[in-house]
Amino acid sequence: MPAMSSVLANKSTRVILIAVVAIALVVAPLILPAFTNQTLVRIGVYAVAVLGLNIVMGYTGQVNLGQIFFVGLGAYVTAYGVNHDWNIILVFVAACVVPGLVGLLVALAAARLGGLAIAMVTIALPIVGVPLAKRLDEFTGGSQGTSARFTDAPDWSGLYNDQWQFYIVLLVTAAAFLLGRSLVRGKYGRAFGVVRENEAVAASMGISPYRTKVLAFTVASIFGGASGFLYLAAVQYTSPETLSFGHSISLVAAMVIGGAGSIAGALIGGAYYVFVPQLTNAIDPNLTTISQGAILLVVLFLLPQGLVSLPRVVRRLFRRRTSRSSLPGNPPQNSPVHQPATDAAREGLEKTERQDRS
Amino acid sequence: MTLLELTGVTASYGPVQVLDGVELTVPEGGSVGILGANGAGKTTTLRAISGTVRTGGRIKFEGRDIRGLRPDQVAARGVAHVPEGRGTLGQLSVRENLLVGAYLRKDRGAISRDIDYCLDLFPQLQDRVGSRAASLSGGEQQMLAVARAFMAKPKLLLLDEASLGLAPSTSKAVYEAIRRLRLESGIAMVVVEQNANLAFSLVDTATVLETGRNVLTGSSAELKGMDEIRRAYLGG
Amino acid sequence: MGTFIQLVVDGLSTGSIYAALALAIVLVNQATGLINFAQGGMAVLSAYTAYAFLQLGLPLIVAILVAVVISFLMGAVIERLLVRRFEGGDPDTAVVVTIGLLTLVTGISAVLWGYNNLAFPSLFPLTSVEILGAVVSVRSLATTVTIVAIMVVLQVLFLRTKLGLALRAVADNPGSAAFSGLPVGRLLMVGWGLAAVLGAIAGVLVAPQLTLTPGMLDTALVYALAAVILGGLSSPIGCVVAASAIGVLENLVAVYVPLIGHDLKIAVPFVLIFVILVIRPQGLFGRKVVVRV
Repeated sequence: MPAMSSVLANKSTRVILIAVVAIALVVAPLILPAFTNQTLVRIGVYAVAVLGLNIVMGYTGQVNLGQIFFVGLGAYVTAYGVNHDWNIILVFVAACVVPGLVGLLVALAAARLGGLAIAMVTIALPIVGVPLAKRLDEFTGGSQGTSARFTDAPDWSGLYNDQWQFYIVLLVTAAAFLLGRSLVRGKYGRAFGVVRENEAVAASMGISPYRTKVLAFTVASIFGGASGFLYLAAVQYTSPETLSFGHSISLVAAMVIGGAGSIAGALIGGAYYVFVPQLTNAIDPNLTTISQGAILLVVLFLLPQGLVSLPRVVRRLFRRRTSRSSLPGNPPQNSPVHQPATDAAREGLEKTERQDRS
Repeated sequence: MTLLELTGVTASYGPVQVLDGVELTVPEGGSVGILGANGAGKTTTLRAISGTVRTGGRIKFEGRDIRGLRPDQVAARGVAHVPEGRGTLGQLSVRENLLVGAYLRKDRGAISRDIDYCLDLFPQLQDRVGSRAASLSGGEQQMLAVARAFMAKPKLLLLDEASLGLAPSTSKAVYEAIRRLRLESGIAMVVVEQNANLAFSLVDTATVLETGRNVLTGSSAELKGMDEIRRAYLGG
Repeated sequence: MGTFIQLVVDGLSTGSIYAALALAIVLVNQATGLINFAQGGMAVLSAYTAYAFLQLGLPLIVAILVAVVISFLMGAVIERLLVRRFEGGDPDTAVVVTIGLLTLVTGISAVLWGYNNLAFPSLFPLTSVEILGAVVSVRSLATTVTIVAIMVVLQVLFLRTKLGLALRAVADNPGSAAFSGLPVGRLLMVGWGLAAVLGAIAGVLVAPQLTLTPGMLDTALVYALAAVILGGLSSPIGCVVAASAIGVLENLVAVYVPLIGHDLKIAVPFVLIFVILVIRPQGLFGRKVVVRV
């Protein structure tokens, strides 16, 4: 493990590694079976939603229990746009902007409450969202849901649908993660962190906690909307069930289990969101909820930083046991929270293989 | 007879060692002051006794080791801690605060007599029995904190900076009442106090701490006379 | 007019269920500074417990009492084994812990009893009486009366007994309370136990109407949280008033405002919160909503 971290630290090897992963991701859909492609696509879909949630919750410390609402909204806007023959770019923009605006409105009110009240308000979003989606059947198709096909592979590409969808989702997901990464590492990211740690300190530094929270929440909603667009690209169908309360809770669980306040954690969270229900459903559908609760609590007890911190924790245990006395001058292990995104990509692939074997 | 005996007590907050072998002996009915500059470990010594900080060394109360007990268990042995910053229960009324103080007692008749005694000791509280503690003035809250500790009928009272943030006349009144309390009840005390005159008005002996160690111990009369002590720790 | 009275009485009945849950949430928050999002899920598990004892042949009232006792223990154990570790830490983590707990207890209900709706018998007769010319269901009236009675008992417990005094002292300042010899840990367990009992009662009272499912109280929890926001975390009476108002209002709106109707009435308290926050940022009763940050 220590050897690996020094390899990662080396800049040129890191560039090469990223290039290899990028090429692998481009080539992968061409050789992987359709089912695996579809699974990877769904990981991308939910990773974007979890990333948004991570920005408002992990980085800014505002508990948001309604992220799925924005995913659903994005999906409905996409379906509406596609079925009204809008340009696909316009559809994507609308799928981001509409949830963003709704998120802004909700945040303008909810952020005034502060503290846990934001959680108490946002929990209502999916609970109100489901009947609302059923009611607005002109736009949503009511309980039946609505479908929209816009991601069938064009003839000139010579690709199968699952491969074409893979590339669409890969493009948007990669863009979202690069954007998210530069956001949390930049000026706003620092503001998020200060507000999470101490609002009074933030205010004394000239950072408005209120505006920062509203910003983080709005960004999260936009990412939610983008995730909704991808959801429709992958599934081609959405219904009120998409934005149910249980799914919203699952997103929170996925975010925490992946790793709050970590970009790579969002990717792991997306993988968790897709795999674990698949696995438990295969055993007994009744086990899905209980296992999710148990996993979430176990992670909170043993790995409060999420699965993304697992290598770090293992390394620390390892080092403590083997070389306690030989490395007295070693810097403390509170190393950077953000690990390179490639790390998680690899982790996601590993899981895929495990899943396929089981 | 020795009531409380600290031997080689250590304590740390994270990597910072705050107590580094503190010694303290309180005889039954005695009153001992802990003096020293800010950060010398005075408050931590009290917290070590009441079990609110993890400690090493030995802390014996009535001949039995109380180190490692929870705060409520220490309280049950007969130690009442009046923490820095008063520590009243703000949303509860004055009377309720006193009743909470008597939580471990079963003698109902004596409890109501003691409440009357407290109100006699601190007449300012008389009109405020029904008010929430948070609505009291700083001085009244300090009186209430002392009275609440007394209600437990402790054998030992730990008093931390009872004059903090109070007007000089108020501090004086508080200390006069505590002195009367000591005379009439015979409760032993450990007193942490920045104000030298107030401290020496209440204690028989005192020890001076410096970075978590005893540097000087003696009777109040001896210490009072030492100019360097006055300058260094007691602020005149 | 008759319909109106009927709607108000039914609204008070559902409002009293929300109030019981809201009070449980306030109770836990006062004691441990957390918002327990699992309060509804725990109440559902309590109702299932009563159901299980009913299946064993116990009379309904006995089954409910046994479930209430078990719920008390469940609340206490959850506090000790699960929540204790996160008290006084990061409140956001603590919230996620209660979310995990919600998922876990819902999952336990699902594993043991499945997702199919189960019929739960009513403690009260399903008859109606006439009041001022309105037909009012006995069950609604009795539910309201029962919960009001329990609130009175709780009020007496908190204000007139030594245990209540100790619970309030710990809620106020656990560290300071310990100096008077109060066993803080045990009292926190009692606080969680009492909250679970309140939830259990709400659960068994509303189960006949909603029928038992693992997610039976998800919606009620959301209403209760709305009541807590409107009434204030530090004000049990404010929460009860807010919960009753929400119960009545949603019932009236569902019938008299067709645009909203029965399906969207859940939006009512949140639209209310939204409007209030926009008009009066400082909160409903002119003070800031106190949430531990």
